[in-house]
Amino acid sequence: MTDRRLLVNALSIVMILIGALAIVFFFLTVLNDPAIQLALNWTPGDDDAAAPSLLLIFLERFGIIVSALFIGAGGFFIAIGWRLRHGHIRTAYWARILLLWLAIGIGATIALELFNILNSAAMDKEAVDWGALVNAIAPALLILLGAVALWHWLNRNIDSLFGGEDSLIGRETRLAWNLLIPTLTIFVLVAARPLEQTFIRSLTDKRFAGSAVPQFVGLENYANLLTIRVDTVTCRKSDPDDPCSTRANGSIRWESIDRELLREGYRTVANISVGNDQSVAISGLDDDFIEAIGTTVLFTIVSVALELVIGLFMAMVVNSRFRGRGAMRAIMLVPWAIPTVISARLWELMLKDTTAGIFNKILLDLQLIAAPQAWLSDPSLQIPTAIIVDVWKTAPFMALLLLAGLQVIPSDLYEAASVDGASPVRRFFSITLPLLRPAVAIALIFRTLDALRVFDLFNVLFGRQQLSMATYNFETLVSNQLDGYASAISVIIFIFISIFAFIYVRLLNVES
Amino acid sequence: MTSKQFRQRAQQVLLYTLVFIVAVYALFPFYWAFMTSFKTENEMFQSASYLPREPTMKNYEYVFRDNTFLDALRNSAFISAATSIFALVAGSFAAYALGRLRFRGRVALLYVVLSMTMFPAISILSGLYTIVRELGFFGTSLSLIVTYPVFSLPFTVWVLTSFFKGLPGEIEQAAIVDGATPFQTFRLILLPLTAPALVTTGLLAFVQSWNEYLFALNFTATNPSAQTVPVAIAQFSGQFSEQEPIAEIMAAAMVVTIPLVALVLIFQNRIVEGLTAGAVKG
Repeated sequence: MTDRRLLVNALSIVMILIGALAIVFFFLTVLNDPAIQLALNWTPGDDDAAAPSLLLIFLERFGIIVSALFIGAGGFFIAIGWRLRHGHIRTAYWARILLLWLAIGIGATIALELFNILNSAAMDKEAVDWGALVNAIAPALLILLGAVALWHWLNRNIDSLFGGEDSLIGRETRLAWNLLIPTLTIFVLVAARPLEQTFIRSLTDKRFAGSAVPQFVGLENYANLLTIRVDTVTCRKSDPDDPCSTRANGSIRWESIDRELLREGYRTVANISVGNDQSVAISGLDDDFIEAIGTTVLFTIVSVALELVIGLFMAMVVNSRFRGRGAMRAIMLVPWAIPTVISARLWELMLKDTTAGIFNKILLDLQLIAAPQAWLSDPSLQIPTAIIVDVWKTAPFMALLLLAGLQVIPSDLYEAASVDGASPVRRFFSITLPLLRPAVAIALIFRTLDALRVFDLFNVLFGRQQLSMATYNFETLVSNQLDGYASAISVIIFIFISIFAFIYVRLLNVES
Repeated sequence: MTSKQFRQRAQQVLLYTLVFIVAVYALFPFYWAFMTSFKTENEMFQSASYLPREPTMKNYEYVFRDNTFLDALRNSAFISAATSIFALVAGSFAAYALGRLRFRGRVALLYVVLSMTMFPAISILSGLYTIVRELGFFGTSLSLIVTYPVFSLPFTVWVLTSFFKGLPGEIEQAAIVDGATPFQTFRLILLPLTAPALVTTGLLAFVQSWNEYLFALNFTATNPSAQTVPVAIAQFSGQFSEQEPIAEIMAAAMVVTIPLVALVLIFQNRIVEGLTAGAVKG
């Protein structure tokens, strides 16, 4: 009995120690980081550059998420260790999970270290320095062995050392977290952490690939991006009694906004006619961005709606019974299988503004148009063109998802409905559509979020002529080298899309 | 001919017409790329013709002029396969937890996973660049295997979660009565039932990685032997330096699209098999 007590207490202390060591290790790593050291030891003088911000460097190098994870994990070890004293089996199960993932984490670190040493040796075509290699990984290897041994020991003795009832909910919760850890690791590594850096940069004047030390500028970038004003303007008239003068394409020519405003940097994005020869002029400090938002939303709504209809049609067709169905399902996916970078080029070729473009040639031969159209450079045709290309490319994606949904609808439902004399239309609306709803909801959510982020297509087809939110972001970062400003754009896009996604998910009710 | 026979015949004709329409819709641009790949550079500027006027194999010769393109094909195949296998394993784990298990924070985690799709790839490019460098993966295939889950995982998790949710609840109860652990229920009973969804999402993850350009360009550009297909194609240069080598690009497009179509054809039977397995549940 006392033996058992002793072992439980020992395990409790070991867990607390591991947690405390993890936190200490983290603080030491931060303090010894070269960039942090450089900032700590920075002395004014040599050149009159501004002092680097220590906070900024810490956020760039480590960030809030990584710090919170390290300290949180350490705290979790300590908390579990502390509660282990009571000898309850539920706590012991959690301790076992922690030890398992500690071992896996350290194992991954060792593998990474090994890969790096071997890879750099291979790159430099040098022999591997085995002594240095052993030195580098030996401490981690020892901790790994310790963690594995402890886990193994706990695993064997968990029932004899600990008592108490386990609940079904507890068991499911633990399994759930175990299963979610790989996904969450990826989430932190390739989404949360990089995105956090983008958030931080959006508050600075950092330049892309520049050597200047970035400084905090607060919300300046956001203010510039989001400032919008609404004015009323009248239309241009050559004579006060004349009707409004128009351009060659029939659009009304509106007066520009106040000179003073133009000088402040406001540019009009759109005029909305309100009658009486007047219009509401929407102007912003960054008119390109506001226009890009409008373009992207319009593009998204129209193309996703068309994709849903065409995708559903394709799915239903290839789900029917006919000869060569297997081949047809593969054929259906061809547009999706061609890389966007290539298919955008292909459409560029097909949409050439002379009869060298097959699109113009077919339409001319069918006498639907009188002269070749400039599909890619005529501003009024650009968005429709982008929609056509996008629908062609991604309707198969919709179709494949919907097909998978159609396949799990039991066929006896249809048979029963036919026996009852339901018409095909009736069957479609009362069996197919309701049962397909989850598949439709997911296809819609992912296609909408994808369309809002459209990049490759606009980049190849239009370059800077017609911007989507993502290509504007790209131009700001790569062509204008404004990393801080581009980051602010990213953050706004992120917030914009999240609001959209949240409402969407709620409306389609897929979470419950 | 009785009226019933006539109706059946009419339905057949209608169905094949619809199939034909879908085929033309999906294939016409592909057909155009195929024809273009046999055309000469001069023909690009003449009035469009449905068949090449002087068919040439020059464009294909250009694609295979050295080993670069074959290397790129191999890299792409390896990276895409690794990405889709990882997405299926991690994704089905997460989806089982989110779709079948009861625990606090389930809905919040669904949003966390979805949030990976709420920003354009360009937003995280410079952040990822730092991480890839710190991991020491820069210029290797690993840089892409590690980063591609940001595209493939959210989608896989959501689709599979919805499929797991759709399965009847009695399955697990029966398994628990038989003494199976939750993980055994997952591996032996639920996973086989979602085979159609697994094949579909695996395929989509594969194609997504196969086609990705932005990350591939930025993370592997320094190392020609690690390039993927889209990057290799983007680096083609025309016979006359200032113009786009469009016919060569189309030849390369043929070479990269055909393996994918073959892949779909191979897995086609699997989708059907998955269907029959799912139908047993009744």
